[in-house]
Amino acid sequence: MDLEKLLSMQKLCINDNPAACVTECPIHVDVKGFICEIRKGNFEEAYRILKKRMPFINVIGLVCDHPCEALCVTNTSGNAISIHELEKAVVIYGSIAKIKTLPMPKVDKKIAVIGGGISGIICAYDLNQKGYSVDIYEKENEIGGSLLNMPEIILNPKLIKEEIIKLEEQGIEIKLNQEITPEKLKDITLEYDAVFIGSGEWNEKFNVDEVTMQTDTEKVFAGGRIVSGCESVIQSVQTGRCAAVSIDRFVYKKSLTALREKEGSYKSILKVDMENEKISPRIKPENGTFTKEEAINDALRCVQCECHKCVKACVHLQKEKLDPKAYIRTINQNERIILGDHYANKTINSCTECGLCGAVCPTSINMADIIKETRISMVSRNKMPLSAHDFALKDMEFTNSKYFELIKHQPGKNNSKYVFYPGCQLSATYSEYVIKTYNYLMEKLDGGVGLYLGCCGAPAKWAGRQEQFDSSIEKIKLNLEKLGNPIVITACSTCFSNFGENLKNIRIKSLWDIFDEKGLPLGAKSGNGKILAVHDACTTRNEKGIQESIRNIAKRLNYKIEEPEFTKKNTKCCGYGGLVYYTNKEFSREVTQDRIKDSGNDFLAYCAMCRDLFVLKGKKTYHILDLIYGSGKEEISDMKVPTLSDRRSNRIKLKKELLDSLWGEKMEIKDEYNDIKIVIGQELRNKIEDELILDGDIKRVIGYAEKTNDSFYNPENGHILAWKRFVNITFWVEYKKVNDSFNIINAYSHRMEVKGV
Amino acid sequence: MKQNNKGKKSKWFCSKCGGPLEEGPVKAEYLGGNFEIELLECPKCKNVLITQELAAGQMLEVEKSLEDK
Repeated sequence: MDLEKLLSMQKLCINDNPAACVTECPIHVDVKGFICEIRKGNFEEAYRILKKRMPFINVIGLVCDHPCEALCVTNTSGNAISIHELEKAVVIYGSIAKIKTLPMPKVDKKIAVIGGGISGIICAYDLNQKGYSVDIYEKENEIGGSLLNMPEIILNPKLIKEEIIKLEEQGIEIKLNQEITPEKLKDITLEYDAVFIGSGEWNEKFNVDEVTMQTDTEKVFAGGRIVSGCESVIQSVQTGRCAAVSIDRFVYKKSLTALREKEGSYKSILKVDMENEKISPRIKPENGTFTKEEAINDALRCVQCECHKCVKACVHLQKEKLDPKAYIRTINQNERIILGDHYANKTINSCTECGLCGAVCPTSINMADIIKETRISMVSRNKMPLSAHDFALKDMEFTNSKYFELIKHQPGKNNSKYVFYPGCQLSATYSEYVIKTYNYLMEKLDGGVGLYLGCCGAPAKWAGRQEQFDSSIEKIKLNLEKLGNPIVITACSTCFSNFGENLKNIRIKSLWDIFDEKGLPLGAKSGNGKILAVHDACTTRNEKGIQESIRNIAKRLNYKIEEPEFTKKNTKCCGYGGLVYYTNKEFSREVTQDRIKDSGNDFLAYCAMCRDLFVLKGKKTYHILDLIYGSGKEEISDMKVPTLSDRRSNRIKLKKELLDSLWGEKMEIKDEYNDIKIVIGQELRNKIEDELILDGDIKRVIGYAEKTNDSFYNPENGHILAWKRFVNITFWVEYKKVNDSFNIINAYSHRMEVKGV
Repeated sequence: MKQNNKGKKSKWFCSKCGGPLEEGPVKAEYLGGNFEIELLECPKCKNVLITQELAAGQMLEVEKSLEDK
């Protein structure tokens, strides 16, 4: 697969981007992170997180002017999380945290800081941490600058003194009562490796580079109020820190400007869906400062910003604990394995390719497209597990064989303005409705309505068998040409999308649009105001017209429509998509269950497979044709779902019946062992259904064994155990002959070929 | 891979010759991987019996792991 293409998709995922509180903070404190710890009552860990970004934390943490709060996503009607009160609480309750620091090796470089205000202290602090020896020159008799003017209730002067003593203990030299004039600056500049001016006032004007804080004099940097032009504590902190980074780079002759785009405040690109979030009012500290409990409760109001819209919508991503970024990484690794197991094959084959992730993603990353490409790549490298899609592909082969395929002009006509293409699954579940629909179309439409029974190639597409899909499409194209390129009327939305995307110049219409336009057949029963939740098929995600037609038909029949949370372009998969129904049945059932829970009302579906899967899971579901042609009784909403074997025999039956009743032709297909009568109990029926064993397989095993006597027998109970290998699977059947039929005791299969002794 | 036949005599007999089955080494192959397994077979007719336990157990595991290679 094209690695570049994959990697570029990975970059589009915005979920890793920091939340607005973090980007708005000039020094990018991990606000979301420390709040997360407070929620757990872990103030010491919160302190560790805060300290990672915040210098001089025990002071700054108490006086920060918190520009973050204004940008917090919860800041509606003044209810933003009290981030500043929380950081105060972290300083108060968490500062006892033990923090291991590795002593930085001393650097033989000297830096002068002029002015012991906030920016000067921060610059000195940061450079001291990097190993520099730093001297602070202060004109007053104590350092602290504007910190000293804070009300005592906010910042106790005693605390400042304690923290300043700590600075001295760390090795910062503080020279008090030293006024630095421009002349003195010249001497200092010569004496030191670099100089920082953070004095708040300076009687000479100089230009300061916004990014680097460097002045016109190469060795001299500036920060604080003279640069920021405001009283913001945290902005002053940022200028001091920024200058410290520049000074460090300057001293070591590195680029001052490289990779500095994200220093200081910037706008977060993370998008957070607040639609369903309820923001409770701010918690006010009863005694001026949060108690631990108050802090925890306020932290619990934080929504912990993330995008993950895809993960929240998709049960596959949830189950695999992957977001697109991690998923793409996993695919990349899986693609590159040379020796060892392709551990992600099952994951890749468990995506339903429904495209919901792409529909909800703010940057339109559609995992379905990536998974499709990945499966194609796996097939082309011969790394697609053989068993994954074998059954579905054989089923497709069957559907496109003489057993089902049928291409005809309307009886009595030699050309077709239209051709009806009911699709393989509708024909397998609702053969009766297919006949009725075809008759309806012939009655309503002029110019001849041909009939085309077959498979659109969806299984090959889902399985990543591009060649097989292409040749199947090519064959359909030729057959349509032979019919005179009629307008194709599809019932199935997968056929609709496959034809629309892959057959150039095709004219295509959904059956539901025809019903909507031409009116419903007489005799359709009224819904009497019954409410149905519409389940749009995932392949109609972008087909607004089809979605509308379905709703119009239901409303015309007097049903009320409920739109589930995930509907229309955001519809969910029923569990069949991407052939997950065959490759990972257990998960397919979870997908079905996940969809069912979206409404307590009965469902209305318009894809036969969606309908069948919901009913199998016990959800009452009407197919749109149940509304049009059904008895009007409730039973049809949980009508028995055909087994895999029924599906095949229903398709054969449909072809036979249509040929007979409309064209007066007899279908002569006889399978050697088809007439063998077998009896299968329900428990075994469920087992063979799960293991994809067909009645036809069982009959052939018995037929062959009865003919050749190649089998084993158990004299105690008269059971026979026989086997036969068909193509790449060996089927085993344990049975007992009772009169003229065979009771099936057990059936199983394996792919490994036993070569004999 | 081994079929667990120990301690129990097979209840199955060969339909063709009526004889009892015996355990013996049998060759099996999947996706280019070759194995020798101890399986029940008719020593005369050479028919080999695979139980469900083996097919759905170890054999399936080996098939899956070969498919993911």
